[in-house]
Amino acid sequence: MSLKGGGGLQRKSKASDQIPSSSLADIAFLLLIFFMVTTVFRTESDRPIEWPEAEATQQIDETRDNIMYVWIERNGDIWINDRLVPLDAVSELVAPRWVESGRRLRISLRADAEAPYRYVDAVQKQIQQAGAIYVVFATDLERRMMRERR
Amino acid sequence: MAILKKQSKVSDEIPSASMADIAFLLLIFFLVTTVFPKDRGLPIVLPEEQEEVEISQRNILHISINPDGTVGVRRGDSQNESFHRPHQIQQVWRTEVAQNPNLIAGVRTHPDAAHRYMIQVLDGLQMANAERISLQMGEG
Repeated sequence: MSLKGGGGLQRKSKASDQIPSSSLADIAFLLLIFFMVTTVFRTESDRPIEWPEAEATQQIDETRDNIMYVWIERNGDIWINDRLVPLDAVSELVAPRWVESGRRLRISLRADAEAPYRYVDAVQKQIQQAGAIYVVFATDLERRMMRERR
Repeated sequence: MAILKKQSKVSDEIPSASMADIAFLLLIFFLVTTVFPKDRGLPIVLPEEQEEVEISQRNILHISINPDGTVGVRRGDSQNESFHRPHQIQQVWRTEVAQNPNLIAGVRTHPDAAHRYMIQVLDGLQMANAERISLQMGEG
């Protein structure tokens, strides 16, 4: 060790003490492109429901255009496309979409966990009346731990 | 000639100093507006209208869901009904289907029973790989 220069106290490191910022724009653009590609602008807003949970929950294997959302609230109110619809109107709304999709339409039935089954059954009958057959009961994925506590 | 040598002081490059700012602005916009779709659930296929199939009582397992969440299970050809919690249905179905591979689950839910109980039973059946499930509403 050299004693010159005050025993090393004044020695300067050659490494820069700044975070390198030249690649910052690249990182930002990378993230930007990721979000641009994955973004789907929402077409309708969610209703405030309590989601039922199920362990066998699976992803709907269909494009977004071929999924129709039917919300059933706890008091039996039915919402489609941000509009409160009477029960009898459900089949009239489903039928054209079913034909349009080339018999591929999936109905995502988003019923409140506490909604009495009579409402769910009535909507199911309306869907059947419209000719559609693919229904998905929307659920949240349930963890096994929580199931055991129940 | 003097005119040809004259150089403009204005730079001929597009200024790139603010590029990162623009990128970050757009990035924040997309971060805020992004909603990842939540298209998940338990799929079932409803029977088409006027499609009724006669099934031997021997091949039906009647599962009735009561408003309090108890689930009664009865074989089609027997009078004995046993009661279970919704999350036990998976096990019940596995033991029953081991005895009769042609079994069909006839789920009958009381009109006042919460949708949640029906989902729990359907979940159990789907976890046990039951493929033939019929959903009906019971009498209130």
